[in-house]
Amino acid sequence: MTNKKCVAMLLAGGKGSRLNSLTKDLAKPAVPFGGKYRIIDFTLSNCTNSGIDTVGVLTQYQPLILNSYIGIGSAWDLDRRNGGVTVLPPYSESSEVKWYTGTASAIYQNINYLEQHNPEYVLILSGDHIYKMNYDLMLDYHINKEADATISVIEVPWHETNRFGIMNTSVDMRIEEFEEKPEQAKNNLASMGIYIFKWSVLNEFLQKDNQNKDSSHDFGKDIIPEMLKLNKKLYAYPFSGYWKDVGTVQSLWEANMDLLDENCELNLFDQNWRIYSVNPNHPPQYISPQAKVKQSLVNEGCTIEGKVIKSVLFQGVAIDKGSVIKESVVMPNTRIGKNVILEKVIVPSNMVIPDGTVIKERKETSEALLITPDSICHYA
Amino acid sequence: MNNRLLGVIDATTYHKGLDELTLHRSLAAVPFAGRYRLIDFILSNMVNSGIESVAIFPKYQYRSLMDHLGSGKNWDLDRKRDGLFFFPSPMIDSSNSGIGSFNHFAANIDYFYRSSQDYALIANCYTVCNIDFSPVLQRHIQSGCDITSIQQLNQPLEMYLVKKDLLIEMIQTRRQTGYTCISDIMADIHQPYTICHYEYKGEAVTIDSVHSYFQASMELLTPDVWKNLFSRDFPIYTKVKDEPPTRYLNGCEVKNAIVANGCQIEGKVENSIIARGVKVGKNTIVRNSVIMQKCEIQEGCVLDSVILDKDVKIETGTCLTGTQSVPFVVKKGSIQGALMNS
Repeated sequence: MTNKKCVAMLLAGGKGSRLNSLTKDLAKPAVPFGGKYRIIDFTLSNCTNSGIDTVGVLTQYQPLILNSYIGIGSAWDLDRRNGGVTVLPPYSESSEVKWYTGTASAIYQNINYLEQHNPEYVLILSGDHIYKMNYDLMLDYHINKEADATISVIEVPWHETNRFGIMNTSVDMRIEEFEEKPEQAKNNLASMGIYIFKWSVLNEFLQKDNQNKDSSHDFGKDIIPEMLKLNKKLYAYPFSGYWKDVGTVQSLWEANMDLLDENCELNLFDQNWRIYSVNPNHPPQYISPQAKVKQSLVNEGCTIEGKVIKSVLFQGVAIDKGSVIKESVVMPNTRIGKNVILEKVIVPSNMVIPDGTVIKERKETSEALLITPDSICHYA
Repeated sequence: MNNRLLGVIDATTYHKGLDELTLHRSLAAVPFAGRYRLIDFILSNMVNSGIESVAIFPKYQYRSLMDHLGSGKNWDLDRKRDGLFFFPSPMIDSSNSGIGSFNHFAANIDYFYRSSQDYALIANCYTVCNIDFSPVLQRHIQSGCDITSIQQLNQPLEMYLVKKDLLIEMIQTRRQTGYTCISDIMADIHQPYTICHYEYKGEAVTIDSVHSYFQASMELLTPDVWKNLFSRDFPIYTKVKDEPPTRYLNGCEVKNAIVANGCQIEGKVENSIIARGVKVGKNTIVRNSVIMQKCEIQEGCVLDSVILDKDVKIETGTCLTGTQSVPFVVKKGSIQGALMNS
């Protein structure tokens, strides 16, 4: 097998517990987003668009839907003879089953996969974020800086710095200090969880980390601090543009609403940076004579006979007469009955919302509400 | 069905009445219903009926057809055994022939010899329908007829089921018998074969002129026609395009319309079929029209009873009007400005 210049390792084992019932039997990267996509589509499409053709996808939590969704990677043009996409679940050795205990341990346990391709560089990605990024430019930067590791960073509002891993850098962007969720931040450059390593250097540190009984085997908590301690060359790669961790129901709802903003930085219509996904093959959408659709994203296979305002509808959603859907996200194949009013909610896939259901003007909280099969009967 | 049936699609047909839409493409590749091409219907029907080997005989301008079909992957026909076959016959001139030209088949007779299936379904490429061929085959076998012709209200749909060995015999003896195609046999009252008819009860329309194309498109807006054609159990497959969902912007007004993915709509759309990746600008009105993929209609235009072929650009302030019986057709890739109004 020919050696690859850069191999991507995509961490897709995220449990996404704060997404509540959405991730009950679904890994976070497989959560539907943007009317057509799943979260992982953005990272996989970024790989393809950046010319990276070898991607290992590390799965662990609830992998069934994610695995079958990825398949052989043809949706992202990653069904390649040499490389392509490989799903890497945890496996057992003669002595024990080795679950991925941390981000670094997940990579360590797949050293065989990396050695098979023997790349010069390894790109570590997470399947939890919504963004468009050219990894090839980051790799150029990494090579020009002759770095051992490069970490992609984004400026975050100062009052939110305590939620992120913050990089303190010198003038030329060399990382001098890494602070995990600092109380008093010195900088507002947050790690995006995207790393490029020289494979030889990473290999060495992974081996060492694996021997360390006290380590939590995490890139942010263990590998990066250790590299800084040993004075390795670590650089921050500044990224600007849309980037969002859709970790909670509210942030998932917000990110969907962002797409409806005409000035949104995340342009799904860019022909030169398409976001690929598995196409479900539905007929076009049907908008009835009584229907009204405004400021919305609607996917194929939808039948709209009611009113849809500022909402995102996934494939195969049916909205019956007299219903009003406002500021909501309706996931695939959900049927909404007659005279239903929904405001600021997320409706999961394959639900049936009975006629006359009204969910609006909630006083106790202004956050978006996730409807569940259990909760829906309280409103009907 | 146990893979007993071969699918044969005759894509050599040329209809003079469809000239404006078939100048750059074969009839089989004419866009329809927002995201499909005419051939998708018969091809998907075959696949949904369990047919695993499909041969396509194209003739005119088949580049767009080949581009559309590719390896057959979207129809699950990229197989090691059987799958999709493409048999262009550039040397054969038989433009007057009916459906199922024996000359075309003879040029590729190996396909029929090598296939393991016992029966062949010969179909045209311009009938829009959703038909299950399994009961047709069952009836054909039970009846012991030589040819089963599928019809609707006594009108043949130009789809014929015949035993493969008999078809090979018809092809081999075409010089002696004088029959050039299946349609010839059907038209001859003295022909020696036993013929059965199978009445198809679902929705079927034949596209053979701009008028019938336009009418069939408008009928899609009738919910019953729509549901009949696009059932969940028998989906119509097509080439996937990775378009984002369609975006309805502030100020848009869409009523009674079929809209494919990847559109950005800011204006008013009524009683229309909008294909993938179309842009409708602010204060523009599109009414009773068929807009094919990637058209851009800028601001302040009025379009009524119009067919825009692929990649058409309508510049700001243009008015185009046709009638329900004679729609105004704008050719593929052209630009219409307000000043060159006709």
